[in-house]
Amino acid sequence: MNPPASGSRHAAALVLLAVALGYWLVSGYYGKEILAEIAITAILAMSLSLLVGQAGLVSLGHAAFFGIGAYGMAGFAAKLGWPPALAMAAAVAVGAAAALLVGLVAVRLAGVFFIMITLAVGEMVHAWFLKDRAFGGVGGMSGVPRLDLSAVGLDAADPAVFALLAVAAALLVYVLLDRLVLSPFGQTLRAIHQNEERTRALGCPVGRYKLAAFVVAGAVAALAGTLAAQRSAFVSPELMTWTLSGEILIVVIVGGGASLLGVATAAALWVALRDQLSSLTDHWMLAMGILFVVLVLVAGDGIDGALRGLWRRVARQRGR
Amino acid sequence: MKRFQAAALAATLLAVAAPASAQAPIRIGLVLPYSAGPFVAIANEITDSMALALEETGYMVAGRKIELVREDTAHKPDVAQAKAKKLVFEDKVDMLVGPVASAELTALFDFAHQAKVPLVIPNAGDNEVTGEKCSPWVLRTSFSNDQIVRDMGRWMAAKGFKKVALLAFDYKAGHQLMGGFKKPFVEAGGTIVTEQYPPFGRLSDFGPWLGRIRDAKPDAIFSFFAGPPATLLVQQFQEFGLDREMKLTGAGWLVSPLNLPSQGKAAAGVIGALNYVPAIDNPVNKSYQERFQAKFKRVGSEFGAQGYDTAKLIHAALAQAGGKTDDKAGLVKAMHAVKIEGTRGPLRIDPKTNNVVQDIYVFETEMQGDAVGYKVLDRIRDVQDPPNGCTLGG
Amino acid sequence: MIIQLLNGMQLAMLLFLLSVGLSVVFGLMRFVNLAHGTLFMLGAFVGLSTAEATGSFWLALVAGTLASAVVGGLLYLGLLRRLQAESPLKQVLVTFGLIFIGLEAARMIWGDYAARLPGPAMLAGSSEVFGVVYPTYRLFVIAVGLVVAAVLYFGLERTRIGAIVRAGVDDRTMTAALGIDIGRVFFAVFVLGCGLAGLAGVVAGPVLSVYAGMDMGVLILALVVVVIGGPGSLKGAFVGAVLVGMVETFGQVWLPEVAGMLLYGLMAAVLALRPQGLLPAGPRP
Repeated sequence: MNPPASGSRHAAALVLLAVALGYWLVSGYYGKEILAEIAITAILAMSLSLLVGQAGLVSLGHAAFFGIGAYGMAGFAAKLGWPPALAMAAAVAVGAAAALLVGLVAVRLAGVFFIMITLAVGEMVHAWFLKDRAFGGVGGMSGVPRLDLSAVGLDAADPAVFALLAVAAALLVYVLLDRLVLSPFGQTLRAIHQNEERTRALGCPVGRYKLAAFVVAGAVAALAGTLAAQRSAFVSPELMTWTLSGEILIVVIVGGGASLLGVATAAALWVALRDQLSSLTDHWMLAMGILFVVLVLVAGDGIDGALRGLWRRVARQRGR
Repeated sequence: MKRFQAAALAATLLAVAAPASAQAPIRIGLVLPYSAGPFVAIANEITDSMALALEETGYMVAGRKIELVREDTAHKPDVAQAKAKKLVFEDKVDMLVGPVASAELTALFDFAHQAKVPLVIPNAGDNEVTGEKCSPWVLRTSFSNDQIVRDMGRWMAAKGFKKVALLAFDYKAGHQLMGGFKKPFVEAGGTIVTEQYPPFGRLSDFGPWLGRIRDAKPDAIFSFFAGPPATLLVQQFQEFGLDREMKLTGAGWLVSPLNLPSQGKAAAGVIGALNYVPAIDNPVNKSYQERFQAKFKRVGSEFGAQGYDTAKLIHAALAQAGGKTDDKAGLVKAMHAVKIEGTRGPLRIDPKTNNVVQDIYVFETEMQGDAVGYKVLDRIRDVQDPPNGCTLGG
Repeated sequence: MIIQLLNGMQLAMLLFLLSVGLSVVFGLMRFVNLAHGTLFMLGAFVGLSTAEATGSFWLALVAGTLASAVVGGLLYLGLLRRLQAESPLKQVLVTFGLIFIGLEAARMIWGDYAARLPGPAMLAGSSEVFGVVYPTYRLFVIAVGLVVAAVLYFGLERTRIGAIVRAGVDDRTMTAALGIDIGRVFFAVFVLGCGLAGLAGVVAGPVLSVYAGMDMGVLILALVVVVIGGPGSLKGAFVGAVLVGMVETFGQVWLPEVAGMLLYGLMAAVLALRPQGLLPAGPRP
């Protein structure tokens, strides 16, 4: 449960970053699209990791906040014409506000009931945008602009630049969440997860801590949503189906739940694998389904555990 | 990435027979929902029928091979867009064909427009795509929603249907098709007695909506549904005894060959308007249906026919361009220049809108022996959309 | 109005058949089986194939029910049993994976085309009830739901096995301490629940189309029923199903603008105010 020593963690983060940048250098046009998708998925999964891995709050409606971020971006930037940077900030704020509203009710529930209420809220948001006319309903809406990076001499319309931007955003989210997890706040979340009654008995306002985690996770998911909307310049209700929530949840569990790096790695593997499989066979979902089941059954520490084992071996060899 | 075995085989055989050509093959990228969502059957129907059409040409045009390269969208707009980019920039396809659903189209449209790659739409019908939003790079061989129903409004008024109830899902396509029918119908003297728009998505029952329509006492219902909801409507229309009081009509997908097996005899007696019916009597369609049925043991649907015609039109355009694909604008020009006899009759692409100009058929389903079949009631020739805000014509 | 009531009731009874197993299993073992909808689809498809082969709807009804019960039982023995000790999270995720496997398996076996399971000839046509003309088959659906509800109620309230199940829902440890093999009881309940889901699939066949993916929409509805009614309770599942059936039917007519959200709003509200549902199982007076 406790994070590994910061030295090995930071080294692992650098390795991951180096792999991402290495892939960025060698990959073609489509590879950069996939890299951006990986970074966005990693952000989404890391935000859910804060809830699931730290606070023990299993949400099956996390895609709703992802979608709210994307639609917020579309609304502020494409409909109202705000500068993309401002629109992103506003969309993240809306995501946080929505999470606050939902969280006020949801964090009072535990276990399966928390899973169910997040599912219900997620489906409500999905139903709303399915019906909504301002954003094109089922058909969705296009024309979402990308960040204006001309101030630093870059053009975000270039997929290479956008992929870098997404990776940078993922890195930033990792650093911030990593600090949050290590802070007293993160310690309290873990204490609540391990023994809620005892933590409450010690005088800790458990509900408020859970709510705060829910809001942060919602805001970060919304940030991922703003990037997803920019990536394809497009939003549709498909961004917030409950099956996406389920898939991200599996990514988190396979990644080891509490480990941000493990979760990010799992996100990368998941996106890459799906992409490869879907080019190979129309029945790729069968393979993914079997993989889901097997991985969840055998995932003890998940990828995180495997990475730590690898690190220990590397460290030992270096010590020789 | 999957290429067709048949394509490869045919191409190899021809390469052996004909003097070896040093030219690279022409590649057509298919972006369709092969793996997930409600349109898998449609995606396969389109692809299979395109393959049928290209087999007839030996996968060759002007001395160059033709290859179909397919990518799966998983019924997700962002995946559709990413796969389109992959096809264009990595696989170097010369043009794109896709998608089925309108959300995927919205995502593909912008990419094709910006990348200046010809995109040929084999199914989605959003009016705006060949109307106010039109692009010089996006062509449509299927239909616009308005094109399907516009003349049906006049036709029904002329046939003595005075009072009509409208019924469609509450979303863009539903409103486009109902609106497209309503205007000419009312102008021709008809009255719309009620309009019902159930929420899009999971509909378990038409009961409530049919109850309201019954209260309005129309002569007919004009509707737009496809897939399982269409089956549900056709069945429930009969179950609730509405068939004794009024006629069920609509955009012809209601009783598509894909739906007939699940609709059973309840499908008899429906009047539909569409750009294709299996019963169309022309040599191209007869040969298409014969070959399709021999191979797949079922009747080819309008989706298949659209796929077949799309491949034929593209082939004709490639021949017109002399097999040259580097000049993408020239390719589009060739698409505008050719005219083919398709399964639906004569077809061409209108340079003013990039939408297809085609015949629209009014048909009725009836019992033919033990099974439900189609009878063509009327044929409206050369149906061409007005520019609708599209400025391609200058 | 009467027609709408009947429509609502017809949907309610389908949902009841589907969710009663889900609910009791949930109440008994806190086990969330997201693949329950997949067994509904399996029942419908096996029913379809049986009807096509034999021409008999009644054989289809038996075959579909049995198939879902058997597959459910095998899944339990081979896979789900070992998840009982695990967190609800793992149960949710494994059964979530099963949804995709089931969907793809159905596509591979039965293809991508929707089909219809014809109802029995003797129930074709319409009947007059309460002064309105109504499809006979839909009356049959309502009747099946009511009969199953009555049988289950009798079984649960008046038999020894029923008493054990009730005791298990109330207090599992205590029941086990009394020397009762709660695992076997759970297995029996699980298999029965899966069989009822298969039955629901066949019964729904003539009303809805049978196609790969028909499980996705109903699964969420069934979860809503379980949550609203109160997990583990037969009465809860019944009341929840009727409520959902009526809200779904009347909501679409009276409040079409928000109909899509209405149910989930109701579910969220019930969870917020009464997390145990409207009619929770538990110690009775």
